[in-house]
Amino acid sequence: MTAELPGPRPRATEGSDLAGLLAKVARGDEAAYAAVYDQIGALVFGLARRIVKDPAQSEEVTQEVLLEVWRSASRFDPVQGSARSWLMTMAHRRAVDRVRSAQASAEREVRATLAATDYDVVVEEVEARLDAQRVRRCLDSLTELQRESVTLAYYGGYTYREVAGLLGVAVGTVKTRMRDGLIRMRDCLGAEL
Amino acid sequence: MRLRRPDPHTLAGAYALDALSETDRAAFERHLSACDSCRHEASSLREAAGHLAEATAVAPPPRLREQVLAEAARTRQQPPPVTEAQSAPRSWLGFTWPAAPRLAVAVAGVCMLIALGLGTLTLTTQHRLRVEEAHNREIAAVMNAPDADIMTVRARTHGSATVVMSHAAGALVLTTVRLPALPATECYQVWLMGPHRDRSAGVLPTAHQGMTAPMIVSGMASGDRLGLTVEAAGGAKHPDSPPVLMLDLPTS
Repeated sequence: MTAELPGPRPRATEGSDLAGLLAKVARGDEAAYAAVYDQIGALVFGLARRIVKDPAQSEEVTQEVLLEVWRSASRFDPVQGSARSWLMTMAHRRAVDRVRSAQASAEREVRATLAATDYDVVVEEVEARLDAQRVRRCLDSLTELQRESVTLAYYGGYTYREVAGLLGVAVGTVKTRMRDGLIRMRDCLGAEL
Repeated sequence: MRLRRPDPHTLAGAYALDALSETDRAAFERHLSACDSCRHEASSLREAAGHLAEATAVAPPPRLREQVLAEAARTRQQPPPVTEAQSAPRSWLGFTWPAAPRLAVAVAGVCMLIALGLGTLTLTTQHRLRVEEAHNREIAAVMNAPDADIMTVRARTHGSATVVMSHAAGALVLTTVRLPALPATECYQVWLMGPHRDRSAGVLPTAHQGMTAPMIVSGMASGDRLGLTVEAAGGAKHPDSPPVLMLDLPTS
């Protein structure tokens, strides 16, 4: 870490660290793997909790994602994007695949019900975190429809067609709002880095 | 079902949010492999989407760490990709997707409809769900019907209703989102409004967090429209107020 500067926190180092750690993990370095776990474990587990809801299944998803990181660390290509993005994509897809296959077997609602109540607790736990605040601030800068489209898809695991149905707007509108919303998020996060 | 293939070019946001069905995702990734600027955009939107996870971070149980580290120590790693030997174009993400559950592939279209209905069920309590199992099967029958048609209509006031209707199943499933809340003395009542008379299809279930659980309506006749009115609690014999929402039902 560089010295603490006034204003924005230095965040770039975190990403490059992760990439460096992944390179070591690819060579079978277990200490580096533990460090990766410590950096992203809470992100992966929290995301799984939010999407999958059920605590036991969320743990399974977390375990699957982290083991996938171990197995396929050699496939990470820094040219294609940041390590963090690669990891979070893997985590998000796993969690979403989990709820979508559960939807097909019509179990999702039961699982969701089990944990629907602890969502607020989760939110409180992270409320104080700077990263969370930053993301919330940026989410607040979106229009309502952009925000709903983005959050229903990302946190709810819904497809854009489902989001359109839930929001009662045209499919094309949702597609556009998702893209516009993420562009705005990207610019907002970039400005806050 | 009326599902058209989307223009892949506009899907970068939905792709970055993993909001595409398997087929849409495959189509978009084919598009990405031929479009550098799209790949760049998708990658930058992915980065932004990944930050959304920061708002939900929560520490996993400590024992999970030991489990995962122990399991990894027993697990064989994949070798790095051998680039020159690659025949298929690589995903921009650079990793081969593991054998994740692919159930959604076969049922993607139907799954969307089921999800639409069941998604709203997530807010009911568990014991009610057990009671409603038979009801859920009825809902699934409509949504799985080969002729299922999905329609969404906005209410005059606020919010909207989504209807999945099947002539084969002789029923429709109705869900609503964000209709204005009513005082306890009033309710929303669902009507089949025909050319000759209006029949009550029952009172709309109470909304949870803005959404109502799927409601089954049967007994539609040719020329019926679906209407929603605000009535005194318990419902009325005839619609006493102008509908807040009307939907022409498709004829078979």
